[in-house]
Amino acid sequence: MMNRLLGMAFLAMSILYGLAARDYKASFGDPLGPAAFPMIIAIPAALLSLAMVLRPDPDPQWERGAPMLKQGAALAILLGYVALLEPLGFPLSTMLGTALLARLVGTRWSYAAIAGISISLLLFFLFDRVLGLPLPAFPDFMS
Amino acid sequence: MDILAALAAGFAVALTPLNLTLAAIGSFLGTLIGALPGLGPVNGVAILIPLAFALKLEPSSALIMLTCIYYGAMYGGRISSIMLNIPGDEPAIMTTLDGYPMARAGKAAQALGISAMASFIGATLATVGLTLFAPLLAKAAIHFGPSDYFALYVMAFATVGGVVGVNPVKTLFAAFLGLMLATVGLDPGTGTARYTFGSFHLYDGFDPIVAIVGLFAISEVLVYFETLHKSSDGMVKMGRAIPRLREVLQGLTAAFRGSAIGFVCGILPGAGASLGAFVSYTAEKQLSNKDGTFGKGDPRGIAAPEAGNNAAAGGALIPMLTLGVPGSGTTAVMLALLISLNIQPGPLLFTREPDLVWGLIAALYLANLVLLILNIPMVGLFTRLLSLPQWLLMPFVVMVSFIGIYSISHSVFDMFVMVGFGVLGYVLRKFDFPIVPVVLGLLLGADMENNLRRALSISGGDFSILVNSPIALGIYALTLAMLALAFYMARKAKHGPDVSD
Amino acid sequence: MLDFTKILGAGLLACALGATSASAAECIAPADPGGGWDFTCRTVGQLLYDQKIVDAPVQVTNMPGGVGAVAFANVAAKRADDPELLVATSTVGVTQIAQGKYPAGIDTMRWLGMLGSDVGVIVVDSKSDMKTLDDLLAKLKADPGSVPVAGSSGVGGWDHIRMLMVADKAGMSADDYKSIRWVQFDGGSPAVTQMMGGQVGAVSTDLGEIAGFVESGDIRILAALSDDRIPAFPDAPTAKEQGIDVTGYNWRGFYTGGKVSDDVYNGWVEKLHTLYDTDAWKKEATAKGLVPIWRGGPEFETYVSEQVDAMARISKEIGVIQ
Repeated sequence: MMNRLLGMAFLAMSILYGLAARDYKASFGDPLGPAAFPMIIAIPAALLSLAMVLRPDPDPQWERGAPMLKQGAALAILLGYVALLEPLGFPLSTMLGTALLARLVGTRWSYAAIAGISISLLLFFLFDRVLGLPLPAFPDFMS
Repeated sequence: MDILAALAAGFAVALTPLNLTLAAIGSFLGTLIGALPGLGPVNGVAILIPLAFALKLEPSSALIMLTCIYYGAMYGGRISSIMLNIPGDEPAIMTTLDGYPMARAGKAAQALGISAMASFIGATLATVGLTLFAPLLAKAAIHFGPSDYFALYVMAFATVGGVVGVNPVKTLFAAFLGLMLATVGLDPGTGTARYTFGSFHLYDGFDPIVAIVGLFAISEVLVYFETLHKSSDGMVKMGRAIPRLREVLQGLTAAFRGSAIGFVCGILPGAGASLGAFVSYTAEKQLSNKDGTFGKGDPRGIAAPEAGNNAAAGGALIPMLTLGVPGSGTTAVMLALLISLNIQPGPLLFTREPDLVWGLIAALYLANLVLLILNIPMVGLFTRLLSLPQWLLMPFVVMVSFIGIYSISHSVFDMFVMVGFGVLGYVLRKFDFPIVPVVLGLLLGADMENNLRRALSISGGDFSILVNSPIALGIYALTLAMLALAFYMARKAKHGPDVSD
Repeated sequence: MLDFTKILGAGLLACALGATSASAAECIAPADPGGGWDFTCRTVGQLLYDQKIVDAPVQVTNMPGGVGAVAFANVAAKRADDPELLVATSTVGVTQIAQGKYPAGIDTMRWLGMLGSDVGVIVVDSKSDMKTLDDLLAKLKADPGSVPVAGSSGVGGWDHIRMLMVADKAGMSADDYKSIRWVQFDGGSPAVTQMMGGQVGAVSTDLGEIAGFVESGDIRILAALSDDRIPAFPDAPTAKEQGIDVTGYNWRGFYTGGKVSDDVYNGWVEKLHTLYDTDAWKKEATAKGLVPIWRGGPEFETYVSEQVDAMARISKEIGVIQ
């Protein structure tokens, strides 16, 4: 069932993708234009999706309960980390992100803190100082 | 012999104590940068060019150090492919297919050893080809027109179904998904913004590196938390720390075949190392996969693409040096490097600056040798990576992935895109879609479309130009032969494995 | 296991070092490492420090996207008053602005100056039967589709526009010159090698990248789109000499945020001018095929604004924008 649903989603996506291409027009000077290639690839993509709907594979096993919660938490940490990188600066946000991920893996808070501090400072030193790739060092409100 | 004398002079320049030290430092730094997900040879060399200036090096010394960084970063990319299932750069995606399964089975040291050996063979043979035939091959390569390139990409995608994945329908769809993703952004032919939803951030489309790191590294995090509670298969067997010579030599013949194929792909500007690795792997699989071991940790599945992409990278230096045309992202950086040293590659380079060219060629031989000597003992160090506790290793890999991307693009948007690709990668993996075709589509899609459109611009819209070139016709014939072989093998496999094998 | 004390030590050291380099200037290259804008930033940044015009090394940041639009939008939104910021640009970027492909117009930024310029050329294979610009134009007039022309920009980009300006001045009608076959390649060298392979008939692009092919005798310059003959190739005639009054430069220069003070603005113009006057810059620029030309401050702002107007007018005339 899940495979069928995914196939339908891909089918819808391929069709929308092909239809959206109709809006792309070149003024002159390009015989094929920007629309043709997307339309050409949308057709086999739609047919392949249709094949997935008509002859679905057996469904994958999903983990429910705790593993799913952890996946959700991991995703939230990743997104939160990205959102906070520039406001908090690299060292602080990386410390937080690393510690939370380490904790989520299942270690003690003290180890998680060690991981956070050591990894963030090591990476900051490596990228900003050694490789010369500037990273935001301080939180926004401090600079 | 003129060439030998010139080469000897080149080595005389290269083999000073200072240059050998620089070569060792460069190889080590390059390997380190390449092993960090998100930073590959392209960025590695670009980042470290200022270092060469800061040290106030002579052009020949700078060239030697940066060449070693370049080759080191290429090799470093294999380490994260094999150990962590995260390709360090685009051509390394094929190495994950058999490298990661080998590492999971406790043969990490063997896999790294094979990769080092095959890289050395591929790069060295390509350098020999460069030494002997550069001007001649450059002349041949210019006859490859847009319709011939288009045929080459058609071949890559037509054969992808037989290469990876269980269900060919899903494999092919994955390739088309990659092609669709490749059309996002400003269209180079007309400047039309396609599928950008009005956002300037999408004007350059999806950076393949962002997609690769997301699809492989971030999706791995989600898979990891799913399997965390089944503690038994979370642990990776360590195996030996240093590979045995006999194990390393298992892929020797595959490496030689891969070198030849990769070199040819490399000479064609625009085809590049990714295609070299891909075609080498495809060919080797069709030739040798008699017991269905490819994709499950076959040594030849590492040796072929590794030799292939290094040979392609070496081959790509030919159009770069003789025509000033970079064949790939990595040669584009080498080109920038030469230009920053006030060397203008082009038709006159070999006659006008023979010292530098032969110095560079000597540096290439040197870099390969230094890497081989340096990396075999370092294999032990990298295999020990896997014995780090997960609470330290996993967050470290995630953070390096993020920061590798951010430090180059300075775009928080790219990082969100990367997480998005992580979720996509997780869903695809869950439903048994192979990821490699998605990346191939994204990498080659733009070139495939551009060459199709170039061909039709030249002909004024007449489609017959696509089959008017004998080169294109040859490639289409080869494609048909490969497909026929794949169907024949599939039918044979259905009737059970060969008893005599 | 990792040695945590060492890492902590390194980290503390990093923080200590980090505190000292806050005042360094930054140059944004709105492209990936290796391209022309990246070169502009890295060379100028390096020389500014080497010539002791600035006190600390200039930090180069790559911000690729949308032919410079991403960096433009970023500076407008976040760094409009940053006194330590340079952004590399060129005629190619200004063409994008003129065609409305950036989020805002040139008034959003303050234009500092240009330090050099590449020259547009129209070239053919040395084995071609076309010896002069007239030969090419005669063929195109007879049948606009007879000679496919290639360059490094897409339809409506600077390489294409320069070619059409020549066709226009030669008296071809809009319908005719729009039917000239245009083939885009990822740079001048690929376009030239494809021409040598017989795929296209002529190439219109910047000279810098392809100068080696002219020196080696593989290709021939039909016309240089400059006011005077190019010093390195005195034998190559200009378009003007052949009766086609068209110039097509591709200058390299910088802008900064629109809200910086006049003192900051004048300071940067002064620094860039000082750099321009050094022999080191002239040597570096010539080595890259650029002609050193200086325009700075208000003069440059006027120049950019005139160029945008002209470019928008041409783009409308030839139908690239409505």
